[in-house]
Amino acid sequence: MSAANGWGRMHISFLIHNAYGIGGTIRTTFNLASTLAEQHDVEVVSVFRHREEPVFSPGGKVRLRHLVDLRKGTPGYEGDDPEYERPAAVFPATEGRYKQYSALTDRRIAEHLRTLDSDVVVGTRPGLNVHIAQQARRGPVRVGQEHLTLSTHSQPLKLTLRTHYPRLDAVTTVTEADAATYRKLMRLPGVRVEAVPNSIPAPAVAPADGTGKWVVAAGRLAPAKRYDVLIRAFEKVVAERPDWKLRIYGAGAERAKLRALIDKRGLYNHVFLMGPANPLDPEWVKGSIGAVTSSLESFGMTIVEAMRCGLPVVSTDCPHGPGEIIDDGVDGLLVPVGKTDKIAAGLLKLINDDELRQRMGRAALASSARFDPAEVAGRYERLFGDLVARGSLRGSLHRTRGALLSSAFRTSDASRSALRRVRAA
Amino acid sequence: MTPEDRTPPVPANAAGSGGPTTPEESTIVSAPAPPRADCIADSAGGLTFDLDAPGSGPDPSEPGHWTAALVLRRRGDDEAEEVRLPLAPDGEGRLRAVLPSTVALPEGRWDVYAAFADTEPRRLVPGLADLRSLVDRRPGPSTSPLAVRIPYATKHGNLSLRSWLRAPHAEAGDLHPDASGLTAHGRLHRVADPAAWLADAVVEARLRRAPGLVVTAPVTREKRADDAPAEEDGQDFSFTLDYARLAAEWRGGLDVWDLWLCPADGSEPARLARLLDDVVDKQQVFAYPGLPVDAEYAPAQAGPYYTTDNDLSVRIEERPPVAG
Repeated sequence: MSAANGWGRMHISFLIHNAYGIGGTIRTTFNLASTLAEQHDVEVVSVFRHREEPVFSPGGKVRLRHLVDLRKGTPGYEGDDPEYERPAAVFPATEGRYKQYSALTDRRIAEHLRTLDSDVVVGTRPGLNVHIAQQARRGPVRVGQEHLTLSTHSQPLKLTLRTHYPRLDAVTTVTEADAATYRKLMRLPGVRVEAVPNSIPAPAVAPADGTGKWVVAAGRLAPAKRYDVLIRAFEKVVAERPDWKLRIYGAGAERAKLRALIDKRGLYNHVFLMGPANPLDPEWVKGSIGAVTSSLESFGMTIVEAMRCGLPVVSTDCPHGPGEIIDDGVDGLLVPVGKTDKIAAGLLKLINDDELRQRMGRAALASSARFDPAEVAGRYERLFGDLVARGSLRGSLHRTRGALLSSAFRTSDASRSALRRVRAA
Repeated sequence: MTPEDRTPPVPANAAGSGGPTTPEESTIVSAPAPPRADCIADSAGGLTFDLDAPGSGPDPSEPGHWTAALVLRRRGDDEAEEVRLPLAPDGEGRLRAVLPSTVALPEGRWDVYAAFADTEPRRLVPGLADLRSLVDRRPGPSTSPLAVRIPYATKHGNLSLRSWLRAPHAEAGDLHPDASGLTAHGRLHRVADPAAWLADAVVEARLRRAPGLVVTAPVTREKRADDAPAEEDGQDFSFTLDYARLAAEWRGGLDVWDLWLCPADGSEPARLARLLDDVVDKQQVFAYPGLPVDAEYAPAQAGPYYTTDNDLSVRIEERPPVAG
């Protein structure tokens, strides 16, 4: 990101579900916000706050605040507010987090967006993007981020997004593949659809030296990660190279199943469930090869993390991210989804060739620098700057569009209050 | 929570009147964060701690910083047990303390504090822990006690160290439990002549509830692995412990058999343990299945496990009913 960016200092406001929890969206939003904050005025507004301090640090220059306080046992606690018990009407019912939203969040988010005087407002999940599309006051550039993918959304949610997203100025996806899907399946005239990858900072530890005989995997122990496939593939690796071992970091519902699989296959001297680790970088550098066997990765954060630590990654070529991150045969290997033979062959190729492994590790280190927060924030900065400039150039047009939209708002407001009356009755 | 970020309490009867006001104006005002220490381990068992100086950073003109110390306090009854290490500017704006392997740290859990000038020591929280050199650790030949220190975050998020100090030390490696018993591989450290020490050595399984009740298994000396350094010659061993002999003593409940490697000459035995890596608590990570064994008393199962001190034991217990 350059200081002489030509757009001047922008005020950028992120809207996020819960900045105080743990998750990829939180981490990547903080990475982006703190980097943008070096040049711009940046705040992160969290709909919910359930604990005193955020787990991840948003960085010193980023302002963090919340809209609804769910800190149990504190005077500010609002979980017993009657409005909190009533279902949300603005936050779409088709969104996965709908049950956590309420009449209270509807009102607080609306108040926030109505009074927001930033240059740019950025939503970080579909339901919040819908709030922004409907309720942001005229003026701020409206950006909706897609951290998952359009194709994994339910049909009803896709319809909701089709309805509301035309009111955004831009939609960002984390992969080119997903941006293409958006352009193909949604009618978004005048809305800029742009792929901007997640950012991953350079690790604070020295990169791996590639000499340890460890394969490392990390992520939630969830079915889509297919760690069962990884363990079965690693059984074939052990048959040829019993001196190599596998560590799987993460917690999740699949743990007991994976434990049983390890025991059944007699792999307890070679495959280890390490439990969760935060940060992960000091764990990646204990390994020499990263492994990802997911059936689906909306981006592939762990692939980039491992590469930034100097590990070549053997990953399934699943939708959507891995193929855009790994240059097959250069800085890692892409293998077919679910094929234990092919996954084992990929791992063994790097295990059996020290020189190749070291070379790919160095290539991974170099190529993954494009995901550095400075690079990614620079892309966002250019996008935001263009949109802000477009907004001021087309100010009159904007006002016309706003006038048209405001009547539409009145209609939907009326229908919403009608709905509320029905519920209350 | 500090008093500053408290919003006025809502009276109980105010429920329904719109709830608390102006949540958008709330700001984070937090207490000064506890000092955070990064920790780097070396393969010899030494640890280096790096932390930010309190305030705006160490000022060489401020002599107060030179009295800073890293304070280790052993958890337990003996309040007085404390190790102080000088905490000095590292030349890059941070403070550094070094705990070399040669500073003896008795076995146990040590809480880590920093003391600046004459102030009360403050508990540190863990920062970055680079423990890569502990993974697959191979201590060199020596007869001085083996020092193992693994830093970890307590369940309250504070920094502590787990310390072991052993000579001789019998490191447990691959374990192969099956229906008839446990075959285990190990490596002996910190004796002058490992091959001689292991000659005619046995593994003793000692029943925890009945000291004196001992089952022994012969020890076999093993060739070192192909990729092991030549100086490790003579250190590797294996043994097979028959589950039936352990199960014969079982009368329900949980029987724990602690495993010791005992030399033939009756000198100091070594507790079998897994210490030579970066994992502070082995039990969940190095886990092994319990398998059905024939016990005269009732259906039982047996399996190896690591204790909270990472020592190797075998448990005999009730066989859970087969699901489904």
